[in-house]
Amino acid sequence: MYYVFVDFDGLDPSPPWVGFSNFTELAADPDVWAAFKNNVIWIVGGTISPLVLGLGLALLVWKLERGSVWYRMAFFLPYVLPPVAIGVVWSWIYEPSRGWLNRALEAVGLGSWTTGWLGNPSTALYAVLGTAIWAAMGFVFVIILAALRNVNADLVDASRLDGANAAQRLRYVILPQIMPVFIMVATLTLIGGFSVFDIIFVMTGGGPAGATDVLGTYAYKSAFQLNRISYGTTLALIITVMAVPFAIVMNRLQRKLSLQGMGA
Amino acid sequence: MRLSPSRIAAAAACVLLTACTGQTIEPTQDKSDAPAGKGTSIRWLIEEPEDAAALKALKDHVATFEKQSGIKVETTTLPFDTMRTVLQTQLRSGEGPDVFNWGSGPSFGGALIEAGLVADISDAYDKHGWKIYDFAKERVTANGKVYGIPGEMETIGLFYNKDVFTKLGIQEPKSLDDLRAAADKVRASGMVPLAVGNKEGWEGGHLLSMALSSDVGSESVESMFGGEKSWNSPEVVSAFGLWKDFNDKGLLPKSPTSVDYDTSTSLYFSGKAAMIPTGSWLVGEIDDNAKFESGYIPFPAPDGPGIFTGGLGSGPFVSATTKKKDAAIQFLNFLASEDHGRWTVENLHTIPAQPIKAEGLEVSPLFAQVLQDTAKFSEGGDFGHNIDVMVSDAVNKAMYDGMQGVMTGQRTPEAAAAAMEKAAKK
Repeated sequence: MYYVFVDFDGLDPSPPWVGFSNFTELAADPDVWAAFKNNVIWIVGGTISPLVLGLGLALLVWKLERGSVWYRMAFFLPYVLPPVAIGVVWSWIYEPSRGWLNRALEAVGLGSWTTGWLGNPSTALYAVLGTAIWAAMGFVFVIILAALRNVNADLVDASRLDGANAAQRLRYVILPQIMPVFIMVATLTLIGGFSVFDIIFVMTGGGPAGATDVLGTYAYKSAFQLNRISYGTTLALIITVMAVPFAIVMNRLQRKLSLQGMGA
Repeated sequence: MRLSPSRIAAAAACVLLTACTGQTIEPTQDKSDAPAGKGTSIRWLIEEPEDAAALKALKDHVATFEKQSGIKVETTTLPFDTMRTVLQTQLRSGEGPDVFNWGSGPSFGGALIEAGLVADISDAYDKHGWKIYDFAKERVTANGKVYGIPGEMETIGLFYNKDVFTKLGIQEPKSLDDLRAAADKVRASGMVPLAVGNKEGWEGGHLLSMALSSDVGSESVESMFGGEKSWNSPEVVSAFGLWKDFNDKGLLPKSPTSVDYDTSTSLYFSGKAAMIPTGSWLVGEIDDNAKFESGYIPFPAPDGPGIFTGGLGSGPFVSATTKKKDAAIQFLNFLASEDHGRWTVENLHTIPAQPIKAEGLEVSPLFAQVLQDTAKFSEGGDFGHNIDVMVSDAVNKAMYDGMQGVMTGQRTPEAAAAAMEKAAKK
């Protein structure tokens, strides 16, 4: 907390006291707002997409008898890979001239869609987000699949006999039983959206020209590339302050649902 | 125009004085229990070389010093970006390296010197008579004291594939118009004209440096370092605009901001690109990887052949808090020796900032040319400036973002130049 009220450059052992200057500067810094906007996109896309895709995959594999272990391993593997390795490999995939993605698009006659995915400010953030979703999906899949194993199959069969279609069975029978677990996973992915740093840093470094900067990468650059340790610390504090209420709300919701008897 | 070290030093001092106001820590005297010599161990921190074989060769070479002196040198490496972030912390903690290799510009060694984290080695210069070029020595001098040994000399210019030029009937470009015409011809043949990658951002600094230096000359660029002239000037706008124009006309790889440096060099090595604007540090890799002959020229100016951009790389400094200063100085004496200089020329393809006898050196024709070019440093030839070692981190960030921005359409050349000036004024 001390460092947010001084102007520490990493060298001066007696940094000057600046009070709330770091906060006022932060509020007026257009780069902070651009990074915050990217964080919001990341939080929304990076939370909803892995949840939907992970749940969908888990439902597909749920009733499988053969090959279930293989599927679990295959889908969970990206989650246990180091983010740096994922970032490097996906950077190759997105590479404009030799990358698999552009080559695949050209092979199916969509050459006009090819671009420098990580160097184009219109696509860079979504390209990195796509990679992050791919990596996070396995985690959601494994946890939801474990929860589905405890779902009361008799209730599902009964609802089918009563005429409920697949969507109705999911909404009224399956989801209520796995809701506490679902909320827990949602909380973890949501909080990850606030603190995202590594995969963006590896894949784009926040570029081109700040197009993929989020608060985490901007804080890092401020602290360690511009030697504005205090400004970076203030940004880090803001990230924490923003994330905590979400964590508390989600945690309370999960407890409330558990107490109401929801969950498998 | 002449290289003007005093101006560079003045500019550096200006930036330093405005950037740093911290208290200094008193350099520790040598308190080692062990005398310098047998049984002493020192830690040497260097930037991670791109080539693992080069690191092994360097360690083997340092082993000759260990054997001769009895001083053990523990060589450790860090990636450049990591080193930039942890070096200050390590030095301040007192647990840092005894000797470390770092850049000599204001935002590199200069900032550490100002913070009192680097030992004064003026006496060692007097005692050992190290023959470092004066202009280079000035880069590591502050308040009349010398703090390090400047690193290898580098030039930045334009490599071109001679075989492709011959095949397409292209002459060596002597002006920007020649370069444009050559690039158009190369593009028409289906090859990439200029292998430019600007994903990391720092490459953009070199692109701006070479275009600007060739256009206006070294003195004009120096005046921007000192603040006498604004970065927000028509010349800087024009230099940004040049690369935007090249990109818009398809003379660079598709989406250069998606292409990292290693990919850009591999485009050149593989013969898929006819030219690459980069530094003399690439000569070794060109010799090893390219199956064609390369030429190396300054980046052309609008009205002539232009000038090479010159700079100094990383060199050794001694930590102010080392308890083994005598051993560290002995090691520096080894690193400053002509024998070590010749070894680096032949094995690492780097050029020390001191006179080296060319006789008997086993180097490629391309590297021999680079050696001749850099020798003109000491003869007062006009060399442009690599901007990023001479300006603050904030100006660098504005420059890197600016070049990426003009290539992607996020920024105009005018906005990029204005952002650099704004950062310089902070």
